[in-house]
Amino acid sequence: MPTISINLKDFSQLLGQGTVTAERVESWLPLVKGELKDHDDATGELRIELQDSNRPDLWSCEGIARQIRTALAGKAAAYPFFKPKRPTKRLMVSPGLEPIRPFVAACTAVGYRVTGEGLAQLIQMQDKLADIFGRKRRTVSIGLYRLPDIVFPVTYTLVKPNEARFTPLGFDEPMSLGEILSVHPKGVEYGPIVAGHDRVPLLRDAEGQVLSLPPVINSREIGEVRIGDAELFVEVTGTDLRMVILTLNILAANLADRGATIEPIEVVYPSATALGKTVRTPLDFSQARPIPVKTIEAALGQSFGATSIARALTAYGYRVKPSRETVIVKLPPYRNDLMHAVDVVEDVAISRGYGEFTPIMPSQFTVGGLSRVEQVSDRIRDLMIGLGFQEIISNILASRQDLCDRMRLGGTSWSRLVEVDNAMSQSYSCLRQWIAPSLLRVESASTRVFYPHRVFEVGEIAVPDPADAQGARTVTALGGLIAHAGANFSEIHSCLDLLLFYLDYPYTLEPVAHPSFLEGRAGRVLSGGRPVGLIGELHPEVLELWQVGMPCVIFELEVDPLAERG
Amino acid sequence: MDISSLIGSLHPLEIKVLLALRDARSRGPMKEQQLEQTAALEPSQLSMAVEWLLAKSLLSVASQKTTPVVSLTKIGAQYFEKYAPIERILSTVRKAGQTGKRLTIQDIQSQEGLEPTEVSGAVGCLKKEGAIRIVAGGHVESTGGPSPTAEAIRELLKQLHGTPRDLQAFPEPMRRVIEQHAVKRGNANEPFRIDDHVERTFALTPDGLGAADALVQQGVADEVSQLSPELLKDGSWRTKRFRKYTISLRAPRIASGKRHPYREFLDRVKTKLVSMGFQEMRGSLIETEFWNMDALYMPQFHPARDIHDVYFVKEPTHVSEIAEPFFSRVAAAHRNGGNTGSTGWGYDFNEERARRLVLRSQGTAVSARTLAAGPQTPGKYFSIARCFRYDQVDATHATDFFQVEGIVLGRDINFRTLLGLLELFAREVAQAKEIKFLPAYFPFTEPSVELHVQHPRLGWMELGGAGLFRPEVTLPLGVDVPVIAWGLGLDRMAMVALGIHDIRELFTGDLDMIRTTRGKF
Repeated sequence: MPTISINLKDFSQLLGQGTVTAERVESWLPLVKGELKDHDDATGELRIELQDSNRPDLWSCEGIARQIRTALAGKAAAYPFFKPKRPTKRLMVSPGLEPIRPFVAACTAVGYRVTGEGLAQLIQMQDKLADIFGRKRRTVSIGLYRLPDIVFPVTYTLVKPNEARFTPLGFDEPMSLGEILSVHPKGVEYGPIVAGHDRVPLLRDAEGQVLSLPPVINSREIGEVRIGDAELFVEVTGTDLRMVILTLNILAANLADRGATIEPIEVVYPSATALGKTVRTPLDFSQARPIPVKTIEAALGQSFGATSIARALTAYGYRVKPSRETVIVKLPPYRNDLMHAVDVVEDVAISRGYGEFTPIMPSQFTVGGLSRVEQVSDRIRDLMIGLGFQEIISNILASRQDLCDRMRLGGTSWSRLVEVDNAMSQSYSCLRQWIAPSLLRVESASTRVFYPHRVFEVGEIAVPDPADAQGARTVTALGGLIAHAGANFSEIHSCLDLLLFYLDYPYTLEPVAHPSFLEGRAGRVLSGGRPVGLIGELHPEVLELWQVGMPCVIFELEVDPLAERG
Repeated sequence: MDISSLIGSLHPLEIKVLLALRDARSRGPMKEQQLEQTAALEPSQLSMAVEWLLAKSLLSVASQKTTPVVSLTKIGAQYFEKYAPIERILSTVRKAGQTGKRLTIQDIQSQEGLEPTEVSGAVGCLKKEGAIRIVAGGHVESTGGPSPTAEAIRELLKQLHGTPRDLQAFPEPMRRVIEQHAVKRGNANEPFRIDDHVERTFALTPDGLGAADALVQQGVADEVSQLSPELLKDGSWRTKRFRKYTISLRAPRIASGKRHPYREFLDRVKTKLVSMGFQEMRGSLIETEFWNMDALYMPQFHPARDIHDVYFVKEPTHVSEIAEPFFSRVAAAHRNGGNTGSTGWGYDFNEERARRLVLRSQGTAVSARTLAAGPQTPGKYFSIARCFRYDQVDATHATDFFQVEGIVLGRDINFRTLLGLLELFAREVAQAKEIKFLPAYFPFTEPSVELHVQHPRLGWMELGGAGLFRPEVTLPLGVDVPVIAWGLGLDRMAMVALGIHDIRELFTGDLDMIRTTRGKF
């Protein structure tokens, strides 16, 4: 989740508690699920990771300061612009945007002169909200503009890519929308979001000046906020009405916290939305929800009563009406993350502080134990160690080259594998279908380690099986390998024989023609007529392919049938 | 020690060396190679015998000459075959210049699969030599100029391939390149290695000469080194002299069978959990997105479900169906909360996506399966599950790793019993005396907690994350009691216990390292 930079001096001003130290900030961070990643005493810069992906209101210096200020004051500050008042400015939405990017919200912010630190925070907030909350601008994107240059009403409309031109940020010449989408780096990156239609969204003012091509790029003339600007126009476009308005609410609250006066704008849609045909933004759309006091107390394991709960929630920014058995809660307008009563439960706990709760031990008796497969695996490990084998642990993800080609299995029926569709590297692109390649990986890396080598692994493999719904079965298997100048079939056979004697697992061997082994020196292990493993001398070509200079003999055995015997 | 007990304790190899030096004493001190020939010994035998005799002061080093010798490291041998980073970068940049492709340093790094340090070193050198330049936008361009370093490295790789050479045999500029790219403390990833080749000559000390003389006079005929069944059977051991051993020598090395050190660590955790009443759960390496994520109320748009976080299975891509009633109930929980009392995430739940097969990315998937399979109440479960994440593998990221996770079900489960359980883990698993609980975020729990502990050797560290499963998780799976979900992050503890600093070494292929690592648990 997002990691943001804040400046300690800027933060102190927003908090209004005089100058605070980094240590002090850190002590408050549990309130915002924040973790101080590092801080620079010289510049006063703090880097904070915010964990909660449902709380975009916290992803800025203003948001963190607001949550802490609320806790210190015991209640949230009021934001008058959420109260109904007839806006003087309007934003008209043209028909036809529904399948592309239907929603927009906007406001103006006047009276806050943008400082260097303020601008840095504005840009950071815009990036984090659009990138993470807005899913890389797909669902939400944000534009900030210099208000004095704009003539209202602004129109959110659709045009053909060759119908409009403007100078985008980062360029010096006017370009057509089509050119921007195909040439401008932001056009290349974000253009696909609105591609696939013959027209693209455009914001322009009453005189036809282009504000931006949402969600791609702003105009350089109007859409570049600079230090010293004191009158801003803020808009959010997107595909989800509530997310769009929530984002604007957050931006408005942040700008208000810095001293701006927010004026709402009336957005006029061609037809009714879930919130009506005209929507005044910012807008407080929080719903009141009754939460039984019992629910909260049972979940937290402690009785506080409605009044204490109300106090804790108010100090966390909620609007609360307590009665004896229920608290009726409403989130502040810059939050929309209340899905279930448990969300309120956690906020009560955070507001009171986790340290305020005395841990108690779960008291009910349960019997511990290992799965049958694990019990058998442990037994096998003990026996293999007694036979002088060193245990190894390997990656289950490997390459087709290691699992098949270097085992001489390419093109044979043994080369079926579970493969990854989006592998990052070929080295980790397939699930191993047997243990032998893992043992050879160790041999290959250990040719200078003194011999004899006896190594084994008990671990999971994925055996492709068209009859299985998932296309493969997860099987626990044992592989053992012996390498030294005189290693031969009879030595590894003795080990397998003794192991299966102790496991009381009757078996027979039948010859098998398997490409990994020397012909005539390999067998299939059968138990109850069912194939459960392989044993043999590895083919010299396999050893060459692994660059192993010693004879190697191996066996491989499925563990699950042993566990299933009970 | 008197001379007879001294010669009685001599090893046959030592005797050979002493006699060889005595025979040739008129010719002065002997080199190792000469000694090998006259005493008819293998190099390894000779070096053992020489060290023993030096330790007994029967032999002295008459002269010693040290020559630095350069050879290729394993990396050097790879560079010889597949080119050094500096050569690869130069050739990539030149090729890009021809095709008009624009490359940043990151592009080169990912395209060539190089480590950041390799790239920055090589790019710095190429820039300094004027073979490349960095232009606006961070793009790297070829100047067309040569890189003396790249050329010198190629020449050295050729000359040193298979044959170590005297460092002094190279001209000064080459020597400088060798020294810059030789293995040093703190930088093992270099192609060259400079070893001091020591040539010594040996002479007998007066004591050594005395011992050799005595050996010649006395003869060594009736000495035996090993008691044998034959000697015991016919009683002839009574007439033999048994050579005395120098028992203070190092023991010869042997290898035994033993558990992998990381396994020992995991087994200890496993035993602890069983002793606390936890039952083990197992699951499949391959899971549907449904069980891996949907059932855990992770919305399908969650960033951690991206193509860049999870491995998707190539074939088959989907299962044909997911067991009911879980499928419908979970889908409803996502869409509008279903019967869970939640508003749900309120998005268009994609059923096709739920059936997509992935490699299990979190152990919690095993817990979800257990919840759906009718667990016991009260019940405690754990799994040590292999999980897979789409991650660039480096010293701190593995693509394939173990997660220790589990659940606790019970009517008495609430936030305080959750804290109690975590306190127990802190004490039992990490031997922590001090602990701290911090608010956390997981999509499937609310409230959520992070457990930080003061580890006796590591200081403050995050030991795990936990929380109470959201009703949107438990109710659709048919569980109506509160459930704790917990996970422990043990890799850092394991790495300290095993004395390693690179997470890849947990699954190392180096048998010597596996054999010699002793876990400190």
